[in-house]
Amino acid sequence: MAGTGLAPLRDRPDVLLRVEELTVEFPVGRHEVVHAVSGISFDVAEGETLGIVGESGCGKSTVARSIIRLNEIRGGKVVFEGTDLVKLKGEALRRQRPNLQMIFQDPISSLNPRRKVRDVISEGVRVWGGGKGAWSQGRIDELMHAVGVDPRFGDRRPHQFSGGQCQRIGIARALAMDPKVLICDEPVSALDVSVQAQVLNLLEDMKKRYGLTLLFISHDLAVVKNVSDRIIVMYLGKACEIGSADELYEHPHHPYTRALLASIPEPAPTVDVSEGEISGELPSPINPPKGCRFNTRCPHADGICLEVEPQMEAVGEDHFIACHHPVAVSISV
Amino acid sequence: MADEKATHAVAVFDEVPEPFSEDVVKRRLGIGFWVAISWMVLITALALLAPVLPIDGQNVIGAGSKLSAPSLHHLFGTDSLGRDVFARTIWGSRVSLSVGFIAIAAGMLIGGPLGIIAGYFRGKIDAVVSFVFLSLLSFPSLVLALMIVNSLDRSLKVVALVLGILAIAPIGRLARANTIVYAEREFVQAARVIGAKDIRIMVREILPNVLIPMGALALLGMAVAIVAEGALAFLGLSVKQGATWGKMILEGSDIRTLRKGTYVAMAPILVMFLTVLALNYAGDRVRSYFDVRETAF
Amino acid sequence: MAEPLLSVKDLCVRFPTERGVVQAVNGVSFDLEQGATLGIVGESGSGKSVTAKTLMNLLPRSAEVDGSVVFDGRDVRALAKSHENHFWGVQMTMVFQDPMTSLNPVKRCGEQIAETLRYHLGHKKKQAIAEAVELLGQVGVPEPAKRVRQYPHELSGGLRQRVVIAMALACQPRLLIADEPTTAVDVTVQKLLLDLLDDLRRDRGMSMILITHDLGVARGRCDEVAVMYAGRIVERAGTETLFTDSRHPYTDALLRSIPRIDQPSHTRLDPIPGRPPDMTGLLPRCAYAPRCRYAQADCLTAIPELGGIVGLHSFACFHPANTERGEAALTANLDAGETAAGLRIHPIVEGAH
Repeated sequence: MAGTGLAPLRDRPDVLLRVEELTVEFPVGRHEVVHAVSGISFDVAEGETLGIVGESGCGKSTVARSIIRLNEIRGGKVVFEGTDLVKLKGEALRRQRPNLQMIFQDPISSLNPRRKVRDVISEGVRVWGGGKGAWSQGRIDELMHAVGVDPRFGDRRPHQFSGGQCQRIGIARALAMDPKVLICDEPVSALDVSVQAQVLNLLEDMKKRYGLTLLFISHDLAVVKNVSDRIIVMYLGKACEIGSADELYEHPHHPYTRALLASIPEPAPTVDVSEGEISGELPSPINPPKGCRFNTRCPHADGICLEVEPQMEAVGEDHFIACHHPVAVSISV
Repeated sequence: MADEKATHAVAVFDEVPEPFSEDVVKRRLGIGFWVAISWMVLITALALLAPVLPIDGQNVIGAGSKLSAPSLHHLFGTDSLGRDVFARTIWGSRVSLSVGFIAIAAGMLIGGPLGIIAGYFRGKIDAVVSFVFLSLLSFPSLVLALMIVNSLDRSLKVVALVLGILAIAPIGRLARANTIVYAEREFVQAARVIGAKDIRIMVREILPNVLIPMGALALLGMAVAIVAEGALAFLGLSVKQGATWGKMILEGSDIRTLRKGTYVAMAPILVMFLTVLALNYAGDRVRSYFDVRETAF
Repeated sequence: MAEPLLSVKDLCVRFPTERGVVQAVNGVSFDLEQGATLGIVGESGSGKSVTAKTLMNLLPRSAEVDGSVVFDGRDVRALAKSHENHFWGVQMTMVFQDPMTSLNPVKRCGEQIAETLRYHLGHKKKQAIAEAVELLGQVGVPEPAKRVRQYPHELSGGLRQRVVIAMALACQPRLLIADEPTTAVDVTVQKLLLDLLDDLRRDRGMSMILITHDLGVARGRCDEVAVMYAGRIVERAGTETLFTDSRHPYTDALLRSIPRIDQPSHTRLDPIPGRPPDMTGLLPRCAYAPRCRYAQADCLTAIPELGGIVGLHSFACFHPANTERGEAALTANLDAGETAAGLRIHPIVEGAH
């Protein structure tokens, strides 16, 4: 699983964001580092939704935060509209910020408790020199209306809203910047079950209305499938499988993808999860296994998996995996 | 059946009125807070108005007989030099309150920004600032006071300066600790993603959150500074000119004075006690009042 | 019919708070047979965890409790008053969501399990440690002899939860209450833990109450499922019946609002409008009525009782879904364009997404 290699990158003119060999390491203690993300490559085309799915500690949030430069990057490129964001610093980086916005996991923590929600939403406009005058007030009202928060309640503070409403406010704040890419880091996992669907639908609506490109990170396989066109499955800082959403769920080739799908409490009948056995738990990202990083838990692991890191290879049209022993897929379901 | 389900109704969302969780019970500061504030207002007003109040000057000697008991004429009696204790308590509050106020203002203005900067940027800046705070805390405060007051002079400015320096580290460390907590929060990251500059994030996002615990500590700190002035008086390091509460207590606790007229020491002690209590209580209430609920449930 | 192991009747729990009285549980009744598994499903604030804490006598002192809880013929609430120490943790135990809250961070795992055994069963220290090793082996902890000497922070989340389960099982309880036992762990680990709980329960003939917000977790792990909303059980049925033939509009809508893995991507979701009610100001009406597509005038004036065939399929609704009465109510609402509670609805437009 150690999917390195640039095979999944597409040569298309409408690629908006391309991540190449992204590597992120966090120092812990004196000499050790957490290998959070180790050489991951993918791209997102304009108007597409890319889902990143994996268990906690797989590095999916780190990928998201690296793209918007919220953490230090060890190596690799993040190319947005031809500019490598990794090379940007200071003011040049700040100028790019509005293009890439983010929705956070905890809707309440992501809003300043001491500010009125209207100020929260319009902060970006003010940072960039607008914010005064009727035009901007009208736009804030319009945004609040668009995300389903009554503009009359703009003078309230975040704690007077429910979690779902706070997430809508967070979405409005991001949209106020008129972004091209919206990165959603577990946007519904802190919400009540009955409210999740509202927010997922809202994201789809906003994507259409404002022509967004979405990067959607979640541990919930069903949620990711619902919103994504293309999905990356991550494990311990590496990509193991990339493919279009429907194809990946119907014909998972990688043993880990199969294990994930088999672990869903209520496996769906249309999903082939045979050979999806998994044992043990996630190894430490400080000393990840050599060779394929999944080799400690994989039912198919053998000598080569312990030594050689598998490369990303195509197994179908727009379907790539990094595995020495891909599971043979019966196409007839 | 399955097809039938597909034709189910779907709600139109932006038209659904949503009930709001109002704070059913309005938060209250409580009557105790207002009593405390009234006391502070009273004592501050008396201090400010001392020159125009119909009271004796602070050093007027022999306005009455020496060590006379409290009476209508001398509310708190007179001291061993025959000075009116009531008048001196009011005059003394000018020094004690200014020392407290200036010291804490210095602590807030220097320690606060330093702490926020250290907590926000971390890394080397944090290491340096934290070490400075630690040194300030570790340096024996009395020795520091002795050194500064002896090398400069025993003026109000210098005494306030000494206490101000001592206030920097505790206030700064509180600001730093709170900043670290808030800097991790997603709303601060959101501000960075929007493109806000560091200074704007510190002022707009972090400061409003850090200011409240700092303000609460400032009230407590003022109380500490007022008491500290008393301690300095016992070391002969308080303000040279005029009455202070500390100096009055010192004079009143002279063994002969104490035997004949306990009230000489008791009056400033009582006033100092009430002031310190009021500040502490108000600080406590302010903190719990602004402890916002951050969840909807 | 044999006496049920656990019988809860008209349980009500209220918490006086600064913001008013939180009506956390409002008349919950259920029986649980020996060896059966009951799933309690609900969102945050539905009262599912408060119900569990009431059974475990873990409520704060400020809570006002009404109703009766009988466990194997003993009045549980009277036991609480008589300071009975060897009931909770022995007959009835609980596993919490976050294993770190139930483990003492400064004590070795083995000691913590041994402590339970020494306190409740009077084991000697050596014997207790030996048994702790045994128990850890039973819950699938690899190298149990080594793990007993480790501290909780040295273990992974999944292993910690196994230690907690071992602790809960130490005294051979007859009822295990698992409150969101797998919410803090990953899906692959969740499956292993749920399998473990299933096996242990079967081997020991233990009863289990599985509390979860995840409908998928309840399905396939429980004999029966009770759905809670606003402090009440709104529907209770055998698991398959509940998932395939739900009657309460809330259950029905919840099942339809969740994205499913077997739907193609970008399937338009059918969400539930609004949000759960404020538990401090519940009105004498069906608490779900403001969000319900079926709501009629009678839903706004009275609280529906849990009816239907108790023990088979019961639900608290005047216009249940998938029934003639319910369909009539829905059709009437669709024609009017809004429900009696003022919720605007319109038929789904095919291919809208």
